[in-house]
Amino acid sequence: MLVCLVPAIFYGDGTALGITLAAALTMSAGIAMRFVLRGRRLLYSDRRLSYAAVALVWLLLVVFGSLPFLFTGATHSMTDAFFESMSGLTSTGATVFSDVETLPPSILFWRSISQWIGGFGIILLVLAIVPTLHINRHSLYTAEVSGADNTGKTSTSMRGTVRHTLVIYLLLTLFFVIALHLSGMTIWESVNLTFTNISTGGFSIYSDSIARFTPLQQYLLAASMFLGGVNFALLYSLFTFRWSRLKNKLDQFGFYVALAAISVVGIAVVLYTHDGIGLDEAVRCATVQTLSSLTTTGSLSADTTQWWTPVLLLMLLLSFCGGMAGSTSGGIKIMRVLILFRNVGNTLVNRLHPHAYNPVKLNGKPVPDDMIVNVMVIFFVFCATMLSGLLAFLVCGVSSTEALGAVVGCLTGYGPGLGSCGGFGSYALFPMVAKWICSVLMLLGRLECMTILILFLPGFWKI
Amino acid sequence: MNVRLLFRILGMLYVIMALSMALPVAVSLFYGDGSQFGLSLAALSILAAGLFMRNFMGVGATKQLDERESYWFTAVIWIAVPLAGALPYLFTGAVRTFTDAAFESFSGFTTTGSSVLPMLDHVPEGLLVWRAISQWIGGVGLILFVVALLRRLNEGSARLVEAEFSGALQRRLHPRMKRSVLLMWAVYSGMTLTLFLLLLADGNGFVDSLCTALCTVSTGGFMTHSAGLAGFSAFSMSCITVFMFLSGINLALLYGLLKGRWRALWRDEEARRYMSIFIVSVVACSVAFCIADGLSVRMLAFSVFHVASTMSTCGFYTEAPTVWPTTVSVITFLLVFIGASAGSTGGGLKIKRLLITGRYVRNYFVRMIHPHAVLDVKVDGIVVEEQYVGRIFSFVFLYLLFAVVGALVLTFSGMDMSNAFCMSAANISNLGPSPVFNNLGASLDYIVLPGFAKWALMVLMLAGRIEIFALVSLTIPAYWRGRCCH
Repeated sequence: MLVCLVPAIFYGDGTALGITLAAALTMSAGIAMRFVLRGRRLLYSDRRLSYAAVALVWLLLVVFGSLPFLFTGATHSMTDAFFESMSGLTSTGATVFSDVETLPPSILFWRSISQWIGGFGIILLVLAIVPTLHINRHSLYTAEVSGADNTGKTSTSMRGTVRHTLVIYLLLTLFFVIALHLSGMTIWESVNLTFTNISTGGFSIYSDSIARFTPLQQYLLAASMFLGGVNFALLYSLFTFRWSRLKNKLDQFGFYVALAAISVVGIAVVLYTHDGIGLDEAVRCATVQTLSSLTTTGSLSADTTQWWTPVLLLMLLLSFCGGMAGSTSGGIKIMRVLILFRNVGNTLVNRLHPHAYNPVKLNGKPVPDDMIVNVMVIFFVFCATMLSGLLAFLVCGVSSTEALGAVVGCLTGYGPGLGSCGGFGSYALFPMVAKWICSVLMLLGRLECMTILILFLPGFWKI
Repeated sequence: MNVRLLFRILGMLYVIMALSMALPVAVSLFYGDGSQFGLSLAALSILAAGLFMRNFMGVGATKQLDERESYWFTAVIWIAVPLAGALPYLFTGAVRTFTDAAFESFSGFTTTGSSVLPMLDHVPEGLLVWRAISQWIGGVGLILFVVALLRRLNEGSARLVEAEFSGALQRRLHPRMKRSVLLMWAVYSGMTLTLFLLLLADGNGFVDSLCTALCTVSTGGFMTHSAGLAGFSAFSMSCITVFMFLSGINLALLYGLLKGRWRALWRDEEARRYMSIFIVSVVACSVAFCIADGLSVRMLAFSVFHVASTMSTCGFYTEAPTVWPTTVSVITFLLVFIGASAGSTGGGLKIKRLLITGRYVRNYFVRMIHPHAVLDVKVDGIVVEEQYVGRIFSFVFLYLLFAVVGALVLTFSGMDMSNAFCMSAANISNLGPSPVFNNLGASLDYIVLPGFAKWALMVLMLAGRIEIFALVSLTIPAYWRGRCCH
């Protein structure tokens, strides 16, 4: 439970009294919990308890994360504070503040920090910082980056992996902070934006997201999103010159790059020919927007609500795909999409040759059957969740286009939706119930549905 | 590739089509609507093409089919037949372009019911009858026609039928393929005839009764008036509702009903689910209507009609209530995805598939806690093979992929996103028009669409109607090469 202290340390940055109050409360709660739970090591040996623990840790963090919003008077509604905090910690990037410039800097910084922490995955931090906590570690880790099955491993020990990943994350953050500062941003801007873009979150300190920055800065931010969407083990082997290990991830990476490239070209062409945007601006907008949606970041370089519908839909589809498994991005993950497609082809070919050994392959290696099943089940559950979310929004009285945008935006962790909540807009006008649904969807999307939904399985505590 | 056999089958279907056009011609002569020349011309050209294919190109075909061919045949036949079926629309001058004619024809044969004909009340009667006939033929399947008629096509015929009409043969009516297909046809025709006579006895016009009967039992949903079924009496409406409901059930079970095996209907898991979903949705819709607009018998009747029309993916509409709660739209939108039973004429994802998928997902959750648990998926007490479950998952993936990509293509015509998704859902589920979509803010106005959007919709209808794998197999290189070695 020490992890509750981590955000609290960062609270010290703000000057407002409210922040200190929130920090104090969080810290005392964290210390109390740690004190109470000390010595109960065997508590978490059960699988179902570890699933419950993941959900509980997230919820507690979100609740405590919402305190600064309430105590500083940034918002007076519990719903809004919870929404914003959830959006931060799940690195979604959906906001209820229609005009973020009016918020105090400390709150802005807290938003960025929460995304930075959330993006990396609090559970990973838990594993690195609190190794004394005897949770069934492997199942917790898989709960966080499920389906990643070895795709995120860089070392034989879990702690080694976590440490490597953390180092990469810190180095990338540092690099982009410096690079953005050199390109002409103030330190304040560069730190905030790096935090929200490397974590593929997408909060901004300006209400026009990143549209006001120079093209070079926007390309840099796009690069940070792109790297945020790449598998961290791949980055680790790349930076440590272990290139022989790279081939284990090349399929996924190739597909990721290809998808990004095709979408960039497609969107640029549409923007240039249909919307009459100049060529260099069209290319820049297409690059930033493609990467922003593919990595489910949600930073915007232009008011996308004015764009042509096919581009918007394509962006929704890209955010559904998400980045690579084992990255900070959301969505269903490129690897799963790849497996789904290949499996269709294999199903058809196997029909012709029923006795041939013809498995689905990834990087030249056969994918085990249970992994394919895993992928298909998650895909199905993801779609079912999306449909239920959509219908729930409609019942709340959200218009169908906005409901569609919101459900994709929240579930995949992209952030902005369509209509009033899309572009530079916010979720401020959503009915209260709809905001709670958004929060639930963000949590479901971040933990890939299964971990949360299993808690509601009839007889979860009995079976 | 056994091209000769393909031509033989196709030729035969063309001949059948041309012969079935005698009825529209007779109707148009009787009513003097002026479409007899166009219809006869279309019939003659299709007949000529059919005879040519059957007697020249299809001579000496070996009657054997392998896996590869069964998919190709299904896909090719389902493209070629609706294309020929477009001729009557074109020759009678009801539509201007070939795209429109093809759209109407595809919508007919796939039992979708989307229409580009403006002002139905002015369309000649002969053409209305042809539309209805095309739905009726497409309803139970083109291949079933052939299998029943082609002599000695035994090897591979089951594959063909399965590729067209998945789930049809899981419950065979007779050990012999041909006999069971004939029995299915008998049930199908019998239902149509019964409904036709009931409607006629209630004092509806000949054309109205005939077309509505043909389109109800095939769950097609073409209507003869712009106002939908608003002109029918309460008795006719209840008959139609009952037959829509029945059409969403597996044909084999309906045959059992005729034989007096009532209990089989309840023992079959899918039928049981079908009925319980039906009842729950009706109750939910009527409650929603009552809350919004007060209790009335009319609302209850409408709820039953509406749910039956959506679940069977028939897509009939009538005068909708003035107050339309969003809850009703939401419930029926779910029903659009669920669809009817496997082995029925309805569309959608099919209850059986969702049943299997749902059970598998539940087992998966249990395995998350107990990783070594041995669990299997059972339907009707029979274990479903793992491989089959995998196929169903792939099917669901492809279905959603088609729907979403279809919507993406549609947005290029300039419509907004919810309209695109509604159109895509309405056509891939073979539902056609429904007040649900209009209440979600979609227009479903097909007339104004550009050509490419119409062709995209046709692909969606086809993907919803025939086994989706058959359509996808056209793009898999392994299916292009010559005969596969056994």
